Amino acid sequence: MADYWWDVIDPIQSVLDGMMFGSIYALIGIGFTLIFGVMHKINLAYAAASIGGAYASLVAFQILSAPALVVFLCAAAASGVIGYIVYICCFRFIPEHLPLATLMASVGMLILIDEVVVHATAGMPEPYPAMFDDVMIDISPFWIRGDLLMIFALSVVAMLILLYVLYRTRLGIATRAVAQQPSAAQLCGIGQQQTNAVTFVITGALGGLAGAMVGASVGILSPLLALPLTVKGLVVTVIGGLGSIPGAIVAGILVGGFENVFQYFRGVTERDIYVMLLLFVFLTFRPQGLFGRISTRD
Amino acid sequence: MDFYYGMAQLIGVHTLLGLSAYVVLLTGQVSMAQAGFFAIGAYLGGMLTVLAGLHIVPAMLLAAVASALVATVVGFPALRVKGLMLVVATLAFGEAVRIFWFNFDYQIAKGNIQVGPLGGEGFKQIRYFPENGWSTADVAIFIWAWVIAAMVALWWMDRSRVGSVLRAVGEDELAAQSVGINLTAVKVSAMGIGGFIAGLGGAIYAHYTTHIEHLNFGVVLATFAIAYPILGGLSSVIGVLLAVIFIQGFLVEVLRFMGDWRNLLFGALIVLAMNVRPDGLFDARATRALKRLLGGRDA
Amino acid sequence: MKRLLTIAAAVGVAMSVGTTADAADRTVKIAGFGAMSGVVRSFGINTDAVMRAAAKAINDAGGVKLADGSMAPMEVSFDDDRCNAEEGISVVRRIASSDAVVGVGPTCSNVAEPLFGILQAKAGDEGDSGLQFPIFTDTAIKGGLAKISEWAFRNVPNESQMYQTLFEWLASEHPDAKSVYGGVEEDFAHSRFTWYKVMKTRSADAGYEVKGEAKWLLNDTNFTTQVRAMKRAGADVIAISAHPFTTCGVLKEMARQRVEYKVLVGLTSSSSLETLNGCAKQAEGIIIPTSFAPVNPDAVAAADAAAALGGSADLHSAAAWEIMMILKDVIETAGIQATADSVAADRRAIRDGLATLKTTKGLLGEITRTDEGEAVKPYVYVHAADGTWAVLHDPNT
Repeated sequence: MADYWWDVIDPIQSVLDGMMFGSIYALIGIGFTLIFGVMHKINLAYAAASIGGAYASLVAFQILSAPALVVFLCAAAASGVIGYIVYICCFRFIPEHLPLATLMASVGMLILIDEVVVHATAGMPEPYPAMFDDVMIDISPFWIRGDLLMIFALSVVAMLILLYVLYRTRLGIATRAVAQQPSAAQLCGIGQQQTNAVTFVITGALGGLAGAMVGASVGILSPLLALPLTVKGLVVTVIGGLGSIPGAIVAGILVGGFENVFQYFRGVTERDIYVMLLLFVFLTFRPQGLFGRISTRD
Repeated sequence: MDFYYGMAQLIGVHTLLGLSAYVVLLTGQVSMAQAGFFAIGAYLGGMLTVLAGLHIVPAMLLAAVASALVATVVGFPALRVKGLMLVVATLAFGEAVRIFWFNFDYQIAKGNIQVGPLGGEGFKQIRYFPENGWSTADVAIFIWAWVIAAMVALWWMDRSRVGSVLRAVGEDELAAQSVGINLTAVKVSAMGIGGFIAGLGGAIYAHYTTHIEHLNFGVVLATFAIAYPILGGLSSVIGVLLAVIFIQGFLVEVLRFMGDWRNLLFGALIVLAMNVRPDGLFDARATRALKRLLGGRDA
Repeated sequence: MKRLLTIAAAVGVAMSVGTTADAADRTVKIAGFGAMSGVVRSFGINTDAVMRAAAKAINDAGGVKLADGSMAPMEVSFDDDRCNAEEGISVVRRIASSDAVVGVGPTCSNVAEPLFGILQAKAGDEGDSGLQFPIFTDTAIKGGLAKISEWAFRNVPNESQMYQTLFEWLASEHPDAKSVYGGVEEDFAHSRFTWYKVMKTRSADAGYEVKGEAKWLLNDTNFTTQVRAMKRAGADVIAISAHPFTTCGVLKEMARQRVEYKVLVGLTSSSSLETLNGCAKQAEGIIIPTSFAPVNPDAVAAADAAAALGGSADLHSAAAWEIMMILKDVIETAGIQATADSVAADRRAIRDGLATLKTTKGLLGEITRTDEGEAVKPYVYVHAADGTWAVLHDPNT
């Protein structure tokens, strides 16, 4: 193949890789957006809890040598539990009209989760299992990484399950009711605290899966992962539109793709500047995000 | 004694950072961009003394003015968004500033070494204080002169009409607007003042550590900037100082005797503090008590 | 208000630095510090254990001889600096306010650089009010730091020399390998310095054609684009200047994309347990120059002593063992008092003693010391073989 063709094929390949990886950003974005939708609060400990869940699932991997899929599910379960703990420690008992206090408490929780992980592992990188990581699908001239495709597929399945839960079950109706009108929901006999707690567990499980997917895509876990995921997750949430799940999905894939485009053309040192610029463009021209409604409430 | 002077310096620097976020928070804006303004102050302040050979005071003031200008420019688009959107937008801006310095090289030869910022390798030898024979105590007093000036200015502002206007905007924008307050002017000038104070703090920080690199000014620092006023209770500048002492003094240094537990307690105690005192360590009631004690008018 | 004062008083008391030692039972206090938190926690754990093991070995043999001929035990402490510049400065000021005579640390280059900046640049310079406290660094390795201050000394390997001879040796061992492609963790000062100023220039000196470099960030997760460019370049030697987390990430991606190479070279700091813990399979064969390997009885004894106290001796922490032994010799030659009143004089004596050293003993052989306070240490090339580090070649033989 002539050399100049690579200049066309490589960027496209980069975008494809980025978009598949972006499904992880989408999962994290959904978590932020869902909690924001229900409680109108930010849970900054979310990405750290996700990585924490992935770390917890290492027990299943290293001691029980469970297959990768089981490890991923363990990560989701562990993260669900951590999500509940975060809810109790940072949201349950802090008065609702003090969003800054909950914000700060979740920062404390972020630091705590990271440090617990560091104490358990001495900060060492830990190998994490992946599925199909030795498979490269050849659709000439492109290659598709088997593990990334698997991650993409798993993320899509998780999102579909979430959408089913939200729109087809009683639990989901309650969640959406609290999100739209907390007091009216309460009048209808929907327990607000209970719904909030359930939301934290569900988003936690989703995050745990995202944490496991990150681990699987790199092949190793490190506490270093939590902070960049938090930042990218928040960017995705805003670009997608606050409270919008389809928005978070599209924005996650978009950011993942864009990130790789900028990396290809401008290099890794400037990559994130352009991701931030993308965010500013959205804030300026479409402040409500991709699918968000212009909210009348604060 | 040196250790205590060193701690005083550190607490002073962080208090300036906290105060810069405090002003902005009064208008109801949670700004994660303060670390960015702090970085601008640090790099410019360091470049002015090391490369341009300026005295520390004009260097600090110039750095602070530059950072105030940037903050003002950021203030306008920031008006368009609020709540979580603003948090993320300012966070993104702060990160963009950090990455800017990460890509920024400007070195000149001084003696037999190259000095000046060098991208990812950082900016070293910002040794104005030791080179000019300032003792640790001198530096601590110098820093605290700035901190006290900033605190007194903000305290006075808080008690004057300006403070009421800022708080009115923070409490309820719509109501504030309906009584004729110019939201744009108030929010943008709060950003500008915040940027100025952060710039001052950054310029001192660069000289305090003698070496800066972009990783010092990341999300963690931005989070601490807003943590100080929030933990401090947003009711007075004293709260910011107390919160800095709580974090930098108590959690970091006093708990050192706990050995390995210190790191775990760091996050846990912040969580606990917010649960026990969600209004902040030094809330409005404490501020009123303090004002009575000082014989001032009751707020 | 009263409550406030009480809190302030309590804080003051709790922050107070340890009281000065009783003149009767004199001890030589050596203060270690480094990272015990965050991703570099394992470094602090290892250095702490090695220092305690070395002190135990010295004390079991009778301790350190003081100026008046009496023997005093060595006492070591260890403080966490969280790999944070401000906290590192506070820790050193705290140590300098106690009666410790020398500091050993830090872990991170981004702490060492500011730390050396607050020290007095030229010893005895009246016009320079910098801190007068000797610091002997075991781990922070970024090139050329000790020249910042005459109070700063390091016992870290000289990467420039190690990679120069490594590339020369590779050129003779693998004459068919002609070109080099780099991989660099672009936002971390040490790895960046080592690629651009060491590996890249040294490999070119050894006659290699440098085909370019792939860049990534410290906490990156996606290396597909970079590795594709690496594969496209088709170089014979891949040299990766990155810490274990991203080294593993890149190696795994290289395996997926089936990047072919003849030789794989890694960063000194990655020749630790962490890399093998993270990706032993993909790291198989990676060649790294290192200043420590348990290749002789002394080195094995040091490694065993550290392991008994819960640490692992690697190229970084083993340097702390050597530092303790060097300090013992320097203290005995300089003849310090180790009393409460002699702290400043003792520190100066130790600094001067360290500054005049031309050679010291090391676990792998003789260490040469430069005028800038740096060390030129003996080293070996190790490679990852079957999940452990094995010595590949000893350039001294």
